[in-house]
Amino acid sequence: MIRFLPLVWRNLGRNKTRSALTGSAIALAIALVCLLRTMPAGLDAFLDEIAKNNRISVHNKAGIVYPLPYAYLQKVRAVPGVVDAMSWTWFGGAFEVEKGVTFPNFAVDPEPLGVVYEDMGIEPAALADFERYRDAALVGRQTLRTYGWKVGDRIALLSTVFPVELEFRIVGAIGQDRDPRFWFQREYLTQALAAQGVEFDQLGTIWARVDDPARVQPVMSEIDRLFRNSEAETATETEKSFFGNFFGSLQGFVTIILIVTGLVALCIVFIAANTASMSVRERIGELAVMKALGFRWRMLFGTLVLEAALLATLAGTAGVLLTWAVTSTLGRLAGWSPQLGPLGSFIATNAILVEGLFLALFIGIVSGVVPSWGASRRSVAATLREVF
Amino acid sequence: MIDLRDVSRIYRRGADEVHALEGVTLHIPAGRFVALMGPSGSGKSTLLNLLAGLDRPTSGEVIVAGERLNELSEDELAAFRARHVGFVFQFFNLIPVLSALENVELPLLLTDLSKAERRTRAATALRVVGLAERADHVPRQLSGGEQQRVAIARALVSDPEIVVADEPTGDLDAKNAEDTLALLRMLKQEFGKTVVMVTHDPRAEKYVDEVHHLDKGVWLEARPGGARTAGEVRHG
Repeated sequence: MIRFLPLVWRNLGRNKTRSALTGSAIALAIALVCLLRTMPAGLDAFLDEIAKNNRISVHNKAGIVYPLPYAYLQKVRAVPGVVDAMSWTWFGGAFEVEKGVTFPNFAVDPEPLGVVYEDMGIEPAALADFERYRDAALVGRQTLRTYGWKVGDRIALLSTVFPVELEFRIVGAIGQDRDPRFWFQREYLTQALAAQGVEFDQLGTIWARVDDPARVQPVMSEIDRLFRNSEAETATETEKSFFGNFFGSLQGFVTIILIVTGLVALCIVFIAANTASMSVRERIGELAVMKALGFRWRMLFGTLVLEAALLATLAGTAGVLLTWAVTSTLGRLAGWSPQLGPLGSFIATNAILVEGLFLALFIGIVSGVVPSWGASRRSVAATLREVF
Repeated sequence: MIDLRDVSRIYRRGADEVHALEGVTLHIPAGRFVALMGPSGSGKSTLLNLLAGLDRPTSGEVIVAGERLNELSEDELAAFRARHVGFVFQFFNLIPVLSALENVELPLLLTDLSKAERRTRAATALRVVGLAERADHVPRQLSGGEQQRVAIARALVSDPEIVVADEPTGDLDAKNAEDTLALLRMLKQEFGKTVVMVTHDPRAEKYVDEVHHLDKGVWLEARPGGARTAGEVRHG
């Protein structure tokens, strides 16, 4: 088949305008498919980025909006395999009241923080300050960047959950570049509430680190068993699962994206098949002549399919490069966009780009098979009679 | 070289049967230049297709170059054509995206020859038809006569024993028609090819060894062409 490549290549250039238009349609479709595919993949990559495989979350079985007794924290800490555990409680603080809550902020326990989130990259000095100062806050780098805050700044948050407004001093940064979280000491909130006569003995979620990823499953089972039939049963899950469920409302959107992606691919198969049919029909006489010269039908079928596949693959390569260029540019210009959630990030993984190339190849082969089969199986004598 | 024994070819056209050839028996010895003549619908192109291995008879036997074509599969017929038959068509039928040299090289893609060998042979075939200097031109850059000479070079390049030509002068002016007939004659004389040509062109008679006349699918007679005497003509 290699020796027929020059012929295949020349045939591709036979009608340059048509080849270019078909190629452009395929390239744009592949780019569209790849861009759409970056969304679910982006969500997955986001979860991989923020989730640790030996960190688990314990929350109320009824849902994460329902609290757990604070006493649960000690019981979880005592479960064999748990290295340490800390509580998170949603504060719902608004920096600019008119805009509401624009970044997630929680009251947490400072002492176990360095153990439970050992991978968070928090500087030791910041951790020490976080434990030392009652009003200390650790702030995600994305939020620092968004508001132009820096270590040492003082800011106030008005809670939308508790009847308090607290002022914080920023003592360090947490997380990756796109981390929006804001943590402060639980004790600070406890005292503020106590000053108003409000007892604070609940927590939102417990986060615990397990000593061995292989023990995560039994530890989770043990924790849930511990609180079975209690006033607040627990549901324990891995960090990735927790965030996956948290973004669960996006799954429907992701499904729609995948359906649209499939339809786009199907449309482009029809377009490419139509072009291949036209191209083959125009050459029916030439194909008959080649058969007369001794070319077997399988050779002609192979060269015709190869031609369609080559065009689609070249176009697919262009589409993949376009996707890469778009996502790279978006990544540089926009970065993480909190307004869009995790879907704001277009991450064209190698897997998506390779899938795009294979999809293009598949489109080429499928679109080429039907017209090529018919043309190459025609009787040479009958075709010569009809055409000449 | 070519033997047809009581060959009939019937086509089905819907519910109707078209008897394109009926009981034709014909022998064409090796190295002969033969014309098949007759009015439209006489069956001459059908006869040419049968002896070139492009079609199979409904009944009768077609034996060419020692091969019983009736018994060959599609793939075997293709291999037979590649090995034994060169084709020249009325409308030249060159591949428009290939140069003259590449068009001539086309049948050699079916051989095991290296690219260099294929190119050398194609260039030689083009030289034989006097078009060596037009090797890089694509068909649209060539005149009709030149295109037909390229087609003859293509028919010659794989060194087949038989060259079949279907109305090779039908789309040419008088001068180019004469040149083409002379070239086909040269294939017989210089290279010993058996040339079978379907034609309406009366000029062809003086170039061929014999002329077979057909009408309504029936072989009528064989007459000597301008290039032979009547006594050499034989038929079954």
